[in-house]
Amino acid sequence: MARPSTDRITRALRSPVTFSVLAGLVIGALFLVGTGADPFAAYGAVVTGSLGADGIGATLSTVTSVLGMALALAIPLRAGLINLGGDGQMVLGGIAAAVTGLYSPLPAPLTVVLALLAGITAGAGYAALAALCENRFGVPLLVSSLLLSYPATSLASYLVRYPLKEPGSSLPQTRRLPEGVALPAFGTSTVTFGLVLVVLAATAYWFADRRTAIGYEIRMTGLNPRFAAYAGVERKGLTLRLMATSGAIAGLVGAIGVLSFPYRFLDGSLTAPGYTWTGLTAALLAAAAPLGTVLASFFFAVLQVGGLSMERTTEVPRELTQVLQAIVIVFLAARPSFSRRRRKTVQEPIAQGEFA
Amino acid sequence: MTRRPSDGPAAGVDTSGDAPAVDSPPVEAPAVVELRGITKRFPGTLANDSVDLTVRRGEIHALMGENGAGKSTLMSVLYGMERPDAGSIRIEGREVSFGSPGTAMAAGLGMVHQSFKLFDSLTVAENVVYRAEPRRFGLLDRAAARRRVRELAEEHGLAVDPDARVGDLPVGLRQRVEILKLLHRGARTLILDEPTAVLTPAEADALFAVLRSLTAQGRTVILVTHKLREVLEGSDNVTVLRDGRVVARLRTADTTAAEIATAMTGRAVDLDRVHPEGSPGEVVLDVEGLSTAGVRELRLTVRAGEIVGIAGVAGNGQSELVEALAGLRPVTAGRVGLRGEDITHASATERRAKGLAYVPEDRHAVGTAPAATVADNLAMGHHRTTLASPRGLLPPSAVRAHARALVERFGIKASTPDVPASALSGGNLQKLLIGRELAHGAPLLLVEQPTRGVDIGAIQAIHDELVAYRDAGHAVLLVSAELSEIRGLADRVLVMYEGRVTASYAKSDADEATLGLAMAGGTAEPVAATATAAATAVATPAPTAAAPNTPAPDGD
Repeated sequence: MARPSTDRITRALRSPVTFSVLAGLVIGALFLVGTGADPFAAYGAVVTGSLGADGIGATLSTVTSVLGMALALAIPLRAGLINLGGDGQMVLGGIAAAVTGLYSPLPAPLTVVLALLAGITAGAGYAALAALCENRFGVPLLVSSLLLSYPATSLASYLVRYPLKEPGSSLPQTRRLPEGVALPAFGTSTVTFGLVLVVLAATAYWFADRRTAIGYEIRMTGLNPRFAAYAGVERKGLTLRLMATSGAIAGLVGAIGVLSFPYRFLDGSLTAPGYTWTGLTAALLAAAAPLGTVLASFFFAVLQVGGLSMERTTEVPRELTQVLQAIVIVFLAARPSFSRRRRKTVQEPIAQGEFA
Repeated sequence: MTRRPSDGPAAGVDTSGDAPAVDSPPVEAPAVVELRGITKRFPGTLANDSVDLTVRRGEIHALMGENGAGKSTLMSVLYGMERPDAGSIRIEGREVSFGSPGTAMAAGLGMVHQSFKLFDSLTVAENVVYRAEPRRFGLLDRAAARRRVRELAEEHGLAVDPDARVGDLPVGLRQRVEILKLLHRGARTLILDEPTAVLTPAEADALFAVLRSLTAQGRTVILVTHKLREVLEGSDNVTVLRDGRVVARLRTADTTAAEIATAMTGRAVDLDRVHPEGSPGEVVLDVEGLSTAGVRELRLTVRAGEIVGIAGVAGNGQSELVEALAGLRPVTAGRVGLRGEDITHASATERRAKGLAYVPEDRHAVGTAPAATVADNLAMGHHRTTLASPRGLLPPSAVRAHARALVERFGIKASTPDVPASALSGGNLQKLLIGRELAHGAPLLLVEQPTRGVDIGAIQAIHDELVAYRDAGHAVLLVSAELSEIRGLADRVLVMYEGRVTASYAKSDADEATLGLAMAGGTAEPVAATATAAATAVATPAPTAAAPNTPAPDGD
């Protein structure tokens, strides 16, 4: 067991992901030096601000949303499908959970479960609609999922401004959920049981990816869709199932957002932090691999939360962390050409028969 | 272009004879391409080990070797795609160092790659002049481009319509476009990489006639190939590579196929083996009036213990037929029966479950996922059946054990099952693919082009596997562009032309001339020879219209 694991470590260190992250940090440091700031102090503030006693709670609740959305995007991405409608699916999940929470006649604990299920169902159904648009009408998934997202967020916006608006409030928000209709939190922190649900989802994804026939089919579809089709993997069905799963997790994230602080649906509160896009970035960074998606989500959550505290303590604007994120992605996007060059020199003697 | 006597130590150039004769290859002609001591090392491999190659003006020089022998690397070095670690290159007597194919082209070299580099949506003329366009006021002068293509085509006997869209042309004509492209740019030495892989015997003959006329004009041709027949018929000299070294330099006139094959493989090989016939049993595959895009009212049957070969020029519906049988292409009319069950509209998965396995033509794009591991590639199709638990679990240990067993059984050369399939050579990848499909033990096996681009050693192994599979009582439908393969393996040969089976022959009657004629749409013996064959695969009336020697493009 020892050798494969050390192999794995050296491979991970040499991987383009490590390279991109390090390159991002180095270039970020150059920016900091350029503006006269101390890079060590700034990075130190990011780390202590996000992982220190004061920040870890905020980081973990950010992880809940970022990891959730990253999973939602990674699962179809594993088969080469891109779901750009995470925002819409998440918001519908949130509004469905809010409505269920407000109007369910059941006792509070059951209402919570019901609200979660409502969120999951709403997200799944809406994402499935995008899949059907591709399967039935040939609208590319990229387009159908992205465009369906806007009416969903607009609908939620309308609902909380008019029919569901909290009476007397000036904000576009629903009433607060009844007492007890909330996910249990850990101690006094803002970290809720939602984190556990998301981690469970990640575990299930890891298991399915590595150890089930469907996970195998998904991976092979991602690596070569024609190969999968040749062996009988039915693409339309797979698209539908993957999108439904993806939307279900996005809806779950929305429901968790409503069943945690502020315990209501506030227009824009789910979409404004950009979890969908951070999640997409994390999924891309990890090439949708389960473990990598978890690590990347954690990394981005640390940057997001740590950036705020860096701004407070060192006067370096938190936008720097966004610069870091962007640099990491740019380096990763450059990966194909760069690894292709390396691979070429390695493989050409082996694959002699075919000219490049 | 300056030509001066070489001062290289081992060149031995004689500048006396400068005018090559047409018929007898000019042995004394000056060297056009001289590679000396070319060494190219890749991590872990010595791809070229001090290779010398001399190609003289006006000759057709065949460069032969199995996959991995280093011929591709050598041509990459010559064409400026790779830099050698050591050695020198002289072109027409001048020492050169190419940084890119562009500089190699400027020095008069041109290469036709195995996969053509053409724009399908552009016309022939546009493709030919690409990157060397005749201009007028800074814009492409289309009239001049068309004129230029016509002139070149006429001059070299490469008839092709300058206004045709390349995407609409059959493969043989696309190859002409590639050659015209090189001639337009003034290439004096043409490198052709496996040029006949996609051609019928007649088209190949036509290609060699063109090459002959080019060499008669003083141009030089380097032919990279592994086909012995055309090397013997079409080349003047042969250089054989094995394991990165030159193992033989032969004058074609003085050598034999066996000698070249022995040099290539390093052991004596039995060429053109004809396997004994099988003993057919019950009908396994029964196709009645099948129509789909490119296939019209096709009838055929394949019995257990029988290999039925489908011969035909690429593009006459063979791929479509096989895809329709495999469930990857909808059937518009007719009926397909597998062991008595109607599978006309069954999905690919259902067909596999009912006993069908399939080796597709394109092993990189369809038959495997090159980026996935060998183990994952070997698991495909088995991942829902033998390897999975009833609940859909697929334990990685089972996948790896399965892979190890198949690697062992089919002699696939892979260091571990965890390397990506893209690291395997063409022959090994094909063994992987065939091994995976044979391992299903399905009553019906569809095989397309089982040995395309595969070296001789692997070809024999693959043929033996297919015959053993037949002898175990399975039905095999074989589609191949290699007539020798069809004749060696098939118990019955059907010829497809324009989407129909136009002729059927028993093994003993399927000689190359007869098949070649039928493949071109000719109808010397319109309907099948023997009674047994006729009973199962009757030709619909063969088109009697004058058949061009190039295949007609599909109906669209």
